[in-house]
Parts: sequence; C-alpha cells; structure tokens
Amino acid sequence: MTHPDSDNTATIERELEAVEAALRAGAADHQDPFVRELQDLGLLLQAEASEPDAEFAEALEQRMREGFPAKPGSARALADEVHSGLAAAVAWPRNAVRRMPSPRRMLPAAGAVVTVVVIGFGLASIDLNRGDQDDAGSGGGVDPRDLASEAESGGGAGESAPGAAQDEAARSSAEPAVPLAQPDATQSDSGSGSAAIAPPTPGGGFAPGRSNRKVERSISMTLEAPDEDIPALAQDVTQVTNRHGGFVLSSTLNSDEEGANGFFELRIPAGRLRPALADLAGLATVRSQSQSGQDVTRRHVTTRDRLQSARAERRSLLRRLELAETDEEAESIRRRLDIVAGEINGLRGLLRDLRLRTDFAVVSVDLAGTEGDSGSGGAGGSFDDALNDAGDLVVGLAGVLIRVLAIALPLALIAGLGWLATSLLRRRRRESVLA
Amino acid sequence: MNWTHVRSRDVNEAVAERMPVRAGTDVDTFAALYQRTFPRVFAYVMSLLRDRSAAEDVTAQAFERAYRKRSSYRARRGSPEAWLFGIARNAALDELRRRGRRAGLEGEPADHDAPTAEDHAELALRREVVREALAKLDGHERDLLSLKFSGGLSNAEIGRVLGVSETNAGTRLHRALTKLRKACDDAS
Repeated sequence: MTHPDSDNTATIERELEAVEAALRAGAADHQDPFVRELQDLGLLLQAEASEPDAEFAEALEQRMREGFPAKPGSARALADEVHSGLAAAVAWPRNAVRRMPSPRRMLPAAGAVVTVVVIGFGLASIDLNRGDQDDAGSGGGVDPRDLASEAESGGGAGESAPGAAQDEAARSSAEPAVPLAQPDATQSDSGSGSAAIAPPTPGGGFAPGRSNRKVERSISMTLEAPDEDIPALAQDVTQVTNRHGGFVLSSTLNSDEEGANGFFELRIPAGRLRPALADLAGLATVRSQSQSGQDVTRRHVTTRDRLQSARAERRSLLRRLELAETDEEAESIRRRLDIVAGEINGLRGLLRDLRLRTDFAVVSVDLAGTEGDSGSGGAGGSFDDALNDAGDLVVGLAGVLIRVLAIALPLALIAGLGWLATSLLRRRRRESVLA
Repeated sequence: MNWTHVRSRDVNEAVAERMPVRAGTDVDTFAALYQRTFPRVFAYVMSLLRDRSAAEDVTAQAFERAYRKRSSYRARRGSPEAWLFGIARNAALDELRRRGRRAGLEGEPADHDAPTAEDHAELALRREVVREALAKLDGHERDLLSLKFSGGLSNAEIGRVLGVSETNAGTRLHRALTKLRKACDDAS
C-alpha cells in the first residue's frame, strides 16, 4: 500500500516534516494513518540506533583531547614530527615578528642602522667613483666627459691653446720639475685606466718655467652601434672632425651580411681636442678608449736651437764670403754655405713635422657594429633604449609565459579530468558494497 | 581550527538529547564537534557495519582522519556534521570492502540491542519486524535511513554526504521509508 499522493513533491515534504515532528516530539500523532505509520517507523529506527560503550567513548575522547597521538615509531609519528617541524619553520618568521618590540621602541635602533647604512653606502660610492675613473674604457661604456678631461689635461699644452698652457704653467710651478737630462717622456695607456693615461706631467717639463711644451697626442677609441647605424655614424664622425678644424687622414668602412665596421684616422687640432672627443663620444656608445702622449719638447727645442745655429752660421758664412779675397777661399765658403743650407732645410722640415705632430692629435676611431640593438644596452643607453629594452623584456617574458601555459594548461586539464575520473571511480567502487 | 556552529535544522530531539550539543557558542572547536556528533557517528557506522568492534575502530579512525584533515574543511561546502559523516561513511564503506562484508549488510543485523525483559512484547515484536524489513532494502536505502535516523542529519546534510541535492535526498528518503513501511506490512 502506498499513499495516493506519494509522488507529489509537496506531499513528500509534508510527510517528511510530519516524521521530523514525530522525532522531535517522540510520539506519532498524525491524523493520517499512513503518515502516522511513517512516524512510527521513524521512531523505531531512531530507537534502533546503537549507543557506544562507555569505555570506548572515554578512551576515544581521551585520544581526541590528546590530539590523536600516533604510536611511537610508527610512520604516522614520523610524519607528525616532519609536519610539526615544517609548521614550526613556517611559523618562525611570524613568531619572530610578534616577539619584536614595538616600533616606537625600535626607532633609535632603526635610526642607528639607517645612519650606518647611509654612511657605509656613501663611503662605498666614493670608492666606487674612484674605481669608475680607474676603470674608464675597460668595458661597456666610457663617460665622454672623462675622456675629454683627460685629453684636455695634456692637449691644452700646445702652442695653439695658450689659455690652457697658462693653466698648465700655473700647475707646473707647484710640481717637481723633471731633470734636464731626462729623455723625452713617453706615457701611454691602453684604455684600462684613465688616471694612468693622463698626459705627460705638465710641470715635469723639459725646461722649468716654460709652458710651451710640445706633446704628441695619440687617442684611439671604439664606438659601438648597431650594424645598420654604422654608415650614419661614419658620416657623423667626419662632420665632427670638420667642425673642429680637423681632417680625416684615412678611413675605411665595411658593411656586409655579417655586420658593419669602420676605421677612421683623424687629425684634430690639439686646442680643439677636448670638445671634439666629447662630440665623438656622444655619437655612440664608447666601447673602449686609450690615450698616449709623448713629450717631444726637448727634441723640438734642440731642433730649433740647431736651426738657429745653422742660420747664424749661414749669416757668418755670408759675411765671410763678402770679405773673401781669393777665389779658393770664396769657393770653400760657398761649399760650406751649401752644407749649412741643407742643414737648415732639414731642420726646418723637422721642426715643421714636429709642429704638425704636436699641433694636431692623432685620433683613431674604430666603429664596431653590433647585431640588433645591443648598442643600446648597458648603463650607457638612453631612455628610449631603456624603454626598448623593457619592451623586449616584456615580450620575451610573455613568450615564455605563453609557452609555459601551452604546456601547463593541457597538463592541468588532463590532470583535472584524471582527478575527476578517479574521484568518481573511487566513489563508485566504494559505494559498490551498498548495491 | 574554528568551527562555525551549525545546528542541524531538523535533527530529531531524541538524538540531540543524547548528544551534548553546545548551544549558543559562536566558535566551535573540534572537541565540541566531537562531543556533538560522537554518538551519532558511532550509531551510523554501527548501522552500516553491524559489528560493534569494527564500528568502534572505524569511528575512531573517522574522527582521527577528520582531526588530521580539519584544515581542509570549507564551510561553503556544508556543515561540519555533513563533512564528518562523509568521512565516517567513506571509512565504513572502505572497511566493508576490505573485509568483504557485503553479506553483512544484507544479512540479519546483530542483535546487540535485543529487547530486555522489561520491554514490552509488542515493541519487541515491532522491532523484529522492522529489522526484517530493513534486510529487504538495498544498501543505498539502508544507508540513507541510517544517515537520517541514526546519524540525525538533515536532508540538506544527507544531500551533502551523498553528493545529491536536498530535494533529491528527501525524495529518496521518503521512498526508502515508504518501502520500509511496505516491507513491514508484508512481514507482519
């Protein structure tokens, strides 16, 4: 026998509520006999519920209050130890923060720490600045100002830069003089240290008190730019040279599929060396630079003195020629005049050559092409370069992320489906005992 | 771990009276959950296993498992009672599978609570009829009735344990109860 409305949802709910009410009241009192029977059944089933033994209940409650301790030596105990160790390790930072004194009490200590850090950082930065000066030109980039100041310290010693020469003279008075017998000073540097490549000591001159020292300057630098920018860079080098009154002695420019490079040998007036180098360095990233200087003052003075002597001898010979009484004597004087004239011409050429070498600095510029946009990297890049680099970085990261997702998403999908299937299978197998 | 105190809406008072339910507390603890549910869990497991010793082992195992997994409980997935009974049910079913106790479910339940001399003869008879009728139900139906009348769960909680909706759980429960009633009629 079934209730006429047993399939009706409302009826089902009403009858179940009646059963619940009977369970709460402990009695079946519904008017409908069918429902009352259900109430009776519910009460009977409830009464059938077994109660646990008091001994078992007490023992289990004791274990529960102790946190269900594992038996010593069991795998569970070992796992508990590992788990508690990990939990303690994870909780340590939080507990340490909690144990710290209040921020107000830590203010003095924090201030002291900040002060020490600031002082230390300041000292370190001072050392670093010195180190930077020492390391100029050894690697990625060279500050054009450093390069120009190095050039100025010696380049201004020439005759064509009287202002700088006066400065040099002022400095030379405070510096020990080099002995007269000292040979021509030659200083050079391969670009690994700006301090070492300073020009010949201004005050250590050949002639104490004299400021018109003659120094041969030789500077080489490597400018780095992307391959596609090398031709334009070559034009810029020429323009800078012309703008500062110099000239291009020789140049080569190569450009092919493997890359681009070039070489320029320039002559820059010594007086314009500083701004010229600054402009050149501003054209691209200075990959390296080197500078050497050779003091040729003594040779210059010697040659000039020899020229003056030769001229004096020539004047003397000319006077003696006027006074010569015999043909043999006149002939002898003429031969000597020819010799002296040759000497004068040679010495004048030597002086002219020396002047050319000291009035114009030799500047060798290597143009090194780089693949892509690497020339913009490093600390010497501009803001645009930094933006480009950041963009490249973001694109690269996005690419990596997409690749990772392309692998991870299918794996996660497969894993999820596997987990779902396993769960369903496990549930079905577990409930198979109820079937 | 803090448990949100969720009192089953329609837990029968008879079962509730046997349980030390801590009413009026906002923060429930695992100990409180234990106190609130231990007799019901045992009764439910006992109804499935029909073996007191095995029921005690499985009950202890269920509470220990729940204690160790207590951090995995999520309130949005149901009440703590439903979560705990799910664990107990899985443990009991695993035990049944492990021990090949299918016959135990379908067979005559052990008479641990046999009527005493003080029981009325009519009540004893009715209990016997109900036990015979229960034996005619399938495992799912007995499981459902056990969750309701031994475990004292609401229909919503039963739905959580079985993975069905509250309405579906109620319908199934009504059907099982009706079937049991018919089996009792047939047996008497």
